[in-house]
Amino acid sequence: MHENQEKPGLSRRQFLKGSGAAAAATALATVPSTADAGPPAAEASPTHGPGPVRINLTVNGRKMTTNVEPRVTLLDALRNYLDVTGCKRVCDRGSCGACTVMLDNKVVYSCSMLALEAQGKQIRTAESLVTGDKLDAVPAAFVQFDAQQCGFCTPGFVVAMKSVLETNPKATPAEVEAGLAGNICRCGTYEQMRDAIAALCNTRRD
Amino acid sequence: MPWPTTRRILGTKVQRLDGPEKSTGRARYSFDINRPGMLHARILRCPHAHARVKNIDTAPAEKVPGFRAFHVLVKPGTELFFAGDEVVAICADTEEHAEDCLRAIRVDYDVLPHLVKEADALEAKMSTLGAGQMNVNPGGDFTTNNFAKVAYQGVAPAVEGTYGVGIISHQCLESHGLVAEWNKDSTQLTVWASTQAVPATADQLAQHFKIPSTQVRCITHYMGGGFGSKFGPDIQGRACAELARKARAPVKLMLDRAEEVMVGGQRPSAFGTAKAAATKEGVFKTYEVDCYGSPGVGNAATVNFALLPYVYNNVPDLNVKRRHRRIRLNLQNARAMRAPGHPQNCLLTDQLVDDLCATLNINPMNFRLRNLPPNVADAIKTNPTSFDALRHTIYTREIEIIRKMCEWDRNWHPPGRGDGPIKTGLGMAIHTWGGAGRGPNLVRVSINADGSVLVQSSTQDLGTGERTVLAMVVAEILGLTPTDVTVQIGESQFGPSTGSGGSTTCPGTAPAALNAVEAAKRAFLTAIAPRMGGNVEDLTIEPGFVVNTRSRERTAWRAACARLGKMGVSETGNWTAGLSNNGVGGVQVAEVKVDTETGVVRCTRFWAVQDVGLVVNKLGCESQVSGGVIMGVNYALFEECIYDRHTGRMVNPDMEFYKLGGIQDMPRIFVHMMDMPERGVIGIGEPPTISTAAAVGNAVFNAIGVRVPLAPFTPDRVLAALARRK
Repeated sequence: MHENQEKPGLSRRQFLKGSGAAAAATALATVPSTADAGPPAAEASPTHGPGPVRINLTVNGRKMTTNVEPRVTLLDALRNYLDVTGCKRVCDRGSCGACTVMLDNKVVYSCSMLALEAQGKQIRTAESLVTGDKLDAVPAAFVQFDAQQCGFCTPGFVVAMKSVLETNPKATPAEVEAGLAGNICRCGTYEQMRDAIAALCNTRRD
Repeated sequence: MPWPTTRRILGTKVQRLDGPEKSTGRARYSFDINRPGMLHARILRCPHAHARVKNIDTAPAEKVPGFRAFHVLVKPGTELFFAGDEVVAICADTEEHAEDCLRAIRVDYDVLPHLVKEADALEAKMSTLGAGQMNVNPGGDFTTNNFAKVAYQGVAPAVEGTYGVGIISHQCLESHGLVAEWNKDSTQLTVWASTQAVPATADQLAQHFKIPSTQVRCITHYMGGGFGSKFGPDIQGRACAELARKARAPVKLMLDRAEEVMVGGQRPSAFGTAKAAATKEGVFKTYEVDCYGSPGVGNAATVNFALLPYVYNNVPDLNVKRRHRRIRLNLQNARAMRAPGHPQNCLLTDQLVDDLCATLNINPMNFRLRNLPPNVADAIKTNPTSFDALRHTIYTREIEIIRKMCEWDRNWHPPGRGDGPIKTGLGMAIHTWGGAGRGPNLVRVSINADGSVLVQSSTQDLGTGERTVLAMVVAEILGLTPTDVTVQIGESQFGPSTGSGGSTTCPGTAPAALNAVEAAKRAFLTAIAPRMGGNVEDLTIEPGFVVNTRSRERTAWRAACARLGKMGVSETGNWTAGLSNNGVGGVQVAEVKVDTETGVVRCTRFWAVQDVGLVVNKLGCESQVSGGVIMGVNYALFEECIYDRHTGRMVNPDMEFYKLGGIQDMPRIFVHMMDMPERGVIGIGEPPTISTAAAVGNAVFNAIGVRVPLAPFTPDRVLAALARRK
């Protein structure tokens, strides 16, 4: 018995397949005929879950593999499945920035994207900003100026600040502060962060 | 041995030793502990502000893939008094499955009437707290002699106002919780707990499971904030350990953000009508307050009643009348939060003082100088380093310092002056706190033959820099640098230590470290003296060297340690009186800019002058002060727990609608530490957050010339206050 005999009309799966084919056909009409259209859309977006699926993540340059349900966020995959705990879970709703990681050099809240979506991208956490005992300039400035107390928000701030300075090495202190607007510190270390920012920007505080 | 009079390391700025671990995400907090085979637990909570549990059906949860164990926390028939109260804990192989289990549990409730607003409770006719319990309870009543007769005699017209602040949440970034792991035969328990009381957490778990306290080990190497809300395993900690025993596997249970805000602790609200009078020359004569606040469902204190009017309560011949009511509501219990009662006290006092100054046309800084509590004559004789002996001197010096720092006489103007829509204002407030050291606080110092030095204590570092404090004390005495010293803290088996409450950690442990290192130094010199060609009396330590004062021979530290042979020395010390003290002052000034068209208040600059006795780590002290100020600016401008009177639930248990300021929202902060080494060590954690909100409130008043009664001073409240003026 076929699906469409069981229920009248199109099944959800058939609809998706059909619209995918239509999209591919439309695309084909507008690109040179020599272009590789790639695999059919249905195969490019396979159905995942609800059970665990195998994912491959590149974290701080290391290839890591685990099995997670599709609903697992990047943050939880890193913390609960791969034991990468520098990114912290605080609000879990994209409000506080404690889970900030770099994804192909862009900062993201890892609580607000699925682990599946991060495959094939370079994921960097605060743990990448130290080699042996040698600290990167950003975490070193946090240490020098005491820009951390309990430290639970700190890796998120460090990653956000690192990203601003990597993207724009000539960033002004105000631009760096703007880059930290998505992060919250409860102990109140902002004043010391400003000292760290001034040092990293080679400016003096007035 | 007393504190050294010449200090090489103490009082200087030393970077925190664990800074590199924290800033690179390598520091492992309890939330970060992953044990082999570890399960994840969640708690099902009552969604109603007041309800009776009729029936709990866990059977559907047991069929969920990954389910491992459940632990029922309340029996059917139990009355629950706030939304968020614990019902059932479950654990599963993954967090996702634990969440699925939670959704599958069926609980039936009889929903009962609730009250979550103080003002509603004052007018309510029935109790929502069960038989025999009242929502409105007396919280204190006090009147000085002859008040009715003399209070308003010979004074300028009195000033009256209403002031207040709502309930706030600690919002610890690492939520409450722990990882629990039993040994194979379930006789020994190890927990990695986010706590500010390491040995007490182990002890409480031992009591719960009726096992010897020696069989429970609590580990807290790093913890992500407590602010007074984390003194023990709590219900979720005990439930986690129960689940671990039932499931025969390690279990992690950390609260999620909504739980953290709904059940992790709150600072009580305080609202009051207050009245004050002074002579026309500015002599403070009378203070009257009728206030109420909510400690949540329990009956804890809200304001610090005996200390009203705050700081000025010790002014002689002041006429005082105060009444307080505790409004018990259907919401979580209050927990100590960074100087319990004091910030509310300060708002109920120091804002009224500025309103009084405005009617008298007196500069509020001069008014405070004139009305400071005096030094106590007896104390000057019997205990000259006590706060009672020094308080007038301390406040006077602090006001003189801050007056220069903020250029008060140039920048302050009478309230409400200034052109244009954006008004600038300056406001001040003053505070006091105890911060006494206490014991038992055992510290062990070991000096090894390879020259390494180890310090151990079960005490915890909440973010204050406690590791660095211990290393600095030891390095000072042994002629080393702090990074030469290895510090191990946060493990209950290192012996007794007190919880980090009341700003007591540094004054409790630094003296213990001094006693321990002095004992270790003596044992060390005694052990090596025969091999150093002299008597122990001839040996002394100078930076990097052991010196024989008779032969003038100088032996480098490592070489001297090598003469220990194979055996190192190890000694302990405890807290003893005389090395720490109690009582600090503190003065703060805020500068704000108020946009009178939008109502937005920006705190632009802030000055804080703080005494703390002997400054141990100047860098850490300054961080505590500016951090306290930032918490106070949040209290003044942004944060508040908002409860819905209809559902009885908190509507903002998150970090999106529960507002906390970011780096761009915070003022430039100038800190001055007033070092008073003759007083010994005193705690710093709490005092600098106390007077911040009142200083901001006074600055807003100074800017716009009208009082915004309730904190946080949000745009709607500012605009409403401005509208009332017009």
